[in-house]
Amino acid sequence: WKEDLTQKAAEAFLRQQQSAPNLRKLVYGTGKNPMLAEDADEEDDADEELGGLFHVSRPDKESKQKANALDCSKFPVETPQDWDLDEVMNSIRDCFVTGK
Amino acid sequence: MASQQHSLSYVGCNFLRQRLVLSTLSGRPVKIRKIRAKEENPGLRDFEASFIRLIDKVTNGSRIEINQTGTTLYYQPGLLYGGVLEHDCSPSRSIGYYLESLLCLAPFMKHPLRIVLRGVTNDQVDPSVDVLKATALPLLKKFGIDGEGFELKITRRGMPPKGGGEVTFACPVRKVLQPIQSTDPGKIKRIRGTAYSVRVSPQIANRIVDSARSILNKFIPDIYIYTDHMKGTSSGKSPGFGLSLVAETTSGTFLGAELASNPQGQGTAVLPEELGLNCAKLLLEEIYRGGCVDSTNQSLVLLLMTLGQQDVSKVLLGPLSPYTIEFLRHLRSFFQIMFKIETKPSYEELQGGEKVLMTCVGIGFSNLSKTIK
Repeated sequence: WKEDLTQKAAEAFLRQQQSAPNLRKLVYGTGKNPMLAEDADEEDDADEELGGLFHVSRPDKESKQKANALDCSKFPVETPQDWDLDEVMNSIRDCFVTGK
Repeated sequence: MASQQHSLSYVGCNFLRQRLVLSTLSGRPVKIRKIRAKEENPGLRDFEASFIRLIDKVTNGSRIEINQTGTTLYYQPGLLYGGVLEHDCSPSRSIGYYLESLLCLAPFMKHPLRIVLRGVTNDQVDPSVDVLKATALPLLKKFGIDGEGFELKITRRGMPPKGGGEVTFACPVRKVLQPIQSTDPGKIKRIRGTAYSVRVSPQIANRIVDSARSILNKFIPDIYIYTDHMKGTSSGKSPGFGLSLVAETTSGTFLGAELASNPQGQGTAVLPEELGLNCAKLLLEEIYRGGCVDSTNQSLVLLLMTLGQQDVSKVLLGPLSPYTIEFLRHLRSFFQIMFKIETKPSYEELQGGEKVLMTCVGIGFSNLSKTIK
């Protein structure tokens, strides 16, 4: 059973390792040095302004729409849960001093 | 501040506020291009123009250039000056839109800021003044921004579309911010709220309270919802009603939720009972998300952690909102700060959804323009 334990621990560790940088990657993008990425961006911009040869086309429509979307800090609930159900109500029961 | 640094360039009008705020704090100029360039009505809107004027008012020596169509904006920040000011906000966005950015800037002024803002106090889009008062102010206090001259007062309530509300915001200045370690959200001990109504029957507020209580009472008995009916000149120019709720925990965390009625002449009439129920459910959703800071104030807490002393700050948040994620990217480009982001599954049962632990080392930002007395 000892072997099983070490294996389990290793697996758990790996899982944690995977989950941790994942979110970081989602937010900051993959590996690249932030400063470099920024410089590259600025070069692109310079090219565009000059009307130069190296026009970068960014086809992703979604990001363009996002660029001019509503500037709002609120985080609307996408899939509201049914708070009349007992199970759903129980899911936050212990957030209250009266819980459990 | 160093104006030699080259400017950061962005596209589109989204996240305009955070770009201008971070630019002001870091001293790096920004250039924003293609603002609604492909729309029928291109360029900056009136509320954005109003926001830029506000930034111009609180700073000294800012250079703002906007092209003729309003699709390109260049902003070179000056010094945060502060002082006693007033500003007429555009009624197309609520005062919360402006106030959110002022909350980020106010602690770093040369002179303590005392500003009167006029416009819409509560609407359906932005966080209202009530919620910011109940959630953002206690958050600033955790960073050591406190004192007698720290207040946010609603003197008149104004609902969309015409507004007519008035708010006073005063904030003391600090040289440095304390780092925070808030990883324990605590348990909710009480729920407070305000049901407001202007230019409608005062009975409506009571109907909202009853319906909201009917849900929340199943969780906790300590609930008090104030009814706030403003009359005469303090009731603004348009009728409306709404509810804001705040849950306070044992460790001083405040989670807020709110709903407002449809503006006059837009959409169908909302029943007060329905509004109360839905708002209570929104609060439960916010509690489910959890964390030590509610979803609207995530970016504020991350900013203050970044600007703190050179020490480790930690905060436990609920799921990151899209606005916060973009804010993190902006923090990286303006301050070269990257957060350590760890997901924390809720170990104990019945405590809502997954949480995220954010850790960073502050950049040791200090308010150099504050005179030492």
